[in-house]
Amino acid sequence: MSEAGPRLTPDEEQRLLRCYADLKQLAVHCQVPSVRAAARAALAQVHAALNGQGLAYELYSADWPEEDKL
Amino acid sequence: MDSAVVVRQPPERGYWNPVTETMPREELRGLQWHKLRTSLAHARRGSPFWRARIPDGIASLDDYIARMPILTREEIVSAEATNPPYGDFPSCDPRLAIRHHQTSGTSGRPPVRTFDTARDWAWAADMWCTGLYGMGVRPYDRAAVAFGYGLFIGFWGLHYALEKIGVATIPTGSFDSEGRVRLLLEQGITVLACTPTYALRLALTARQMGIDLARESEVRIVVCSGEPRPEATKQAIADAFGAFVGDSAGMTEAATIFMFECIEEPGGCHIIESDFIEEVLDPDTLRPVPYGETGVRVMTSLGREGIQAFRYWTNDLVVKRPWSECECGRTWDWYEGGIRGRQDDMRKVRGVFFIPVMVEDVVRAFPEVDEFQSSLRTIEELDTLVVRIEPRPDVPSEQYGELAERVGDQIKRQISLTPIVEVATPGGLPRFEMKARRFQDERSRPATHA
Repeated sequence: MSEAGPRLTPDEEQRLLRCYADLKQLAVHCQVPSVRAAARAALAQVHAALNGQGLAYELYSADWPEEDKL
Repeated sequence: MDSAVVVRQPPERGYWNPVTETMPREELRGLQWHKLRTSLAHARRGSPFWRARIPDGIASLDDYIARMPILTREEIVSAEATNPPYGDFPSCDPRLAIRHHQTSGTSGRPPVRTFDTARDWAWAADMWCTGLYGMGVRPYDRAAVAFGYGLFIGFWGLHYALEKIGVATIPTGSFDSEGRVRLLLEQGITVLACTPTYALRLALTARQMGIDLARESEVRIVVCSGEPRPEATKQAIADAFGAFVGDSAGMTEAATIFMFECIEEPGGCHIIESDFIEEVLDPDTLRPVPYGETGVRVMTSLGREGIQAFRYWTNDLVVKRPWSECECGRTWDWYEGGIRGRQDDMRKVRGVFFIPVMVEDVVRAFPEVDEFQSSLRTIEELDTLVVRIEPRPDVPSEQYGELAERVGDQIKRQISLTPIVEVATPGGLPRFEMKARRFQDERSRPATHA
């Protein structure tokens, strides 16, 4: 049978989701290149964490501003 | 060289993502469906190729499996050829890529080209983390990656995963085998990642240098990927290093691994079912085969936003077993024996189904044999299996005949074919670092494929 492993507490879960939302804002809207790049790299990692916890699953990069693709 | 026996920390059980690795099966199917639905919508929005292909109104996992067409490698190559490098295949703009990889194309076939966005690459590394953590890799480890670091995706994802776990990671791309053996000892390496073929090559090189890796190195986990790895090969590697040998497999079309071997060693590899839907189909009828029967893997990746794969015909031969047969606690089904071979390598010889890797499973159980090759030839109008073995240098030449006889007898017992066994001089057969090519079909008439 399956075994329980460590789980996120409700508080940790909320922090993680909030972190993801904040990073997403910075990843799309921040005009400072270094901060935006850091936010995008971190966003990808936090998304992987959320995916691993079954909490969020998004295919988000296609929605980024068109100027990023020039 | 100090020959004191090194005490190693045995791999310990653990989950990278406890929730999704131990999720009840019904919830797991719900998670798969949620991701699949999102992925299909994304594909229809972004990819002309997928827009033309995905049926309308897919309403469930079962409906998807019933109605979604199977994708072949040739179709990917053709879609990419419309406007190279990626054609109308990608589901998001390739300018969002942070990486590009492609298959080697060494067999003369056009390569499959793929890219990854930052999101995709983080996911790909996380899949490797799932496997590595499940094999017992921990932040205190020191890892050597014996890999060429080129266009081929190979162990790139593993490298990033090791860093993410917190492992000190040493890329040994430019090292020769002697250099790598020295590095294993000098750096106190505890995790080695390479192909099974190369693990055996390193063990041989160490022996030639007078080094017993099982006694003198600190390697406790050997992570193998890139080739089918029969049980006898696993045992030979485990004996040579005195380490746990964890199998895994991935593919360029997936960007990462889709299965790994947990430390309970059920005799195969767990499928990462939170992120892959894996079907096993009869190659003739295209109907699913039950647990325990051999079929071809058909993969749906739920991980990527750029290059997506829905119902991809992999040609890998596998045998699926239910999750409950493994004691590790994961609710993920597993493939007994990992990848058994390739469907396009499967041949019928004198009425017997034959896959080249079957020879490896026999020969690797003979510690007196360092290397081997096999071929199918037409001899006196009969399809004949010919196996060339290369004995270890310390085997006296007067024992070659008896060794060849024993190898031949065992092949006959295990494969039901009577081979001709030839003996090569020590050092006479080629060695391989990545994907070994030990088999040739030299029959004078077209091969009878299964």
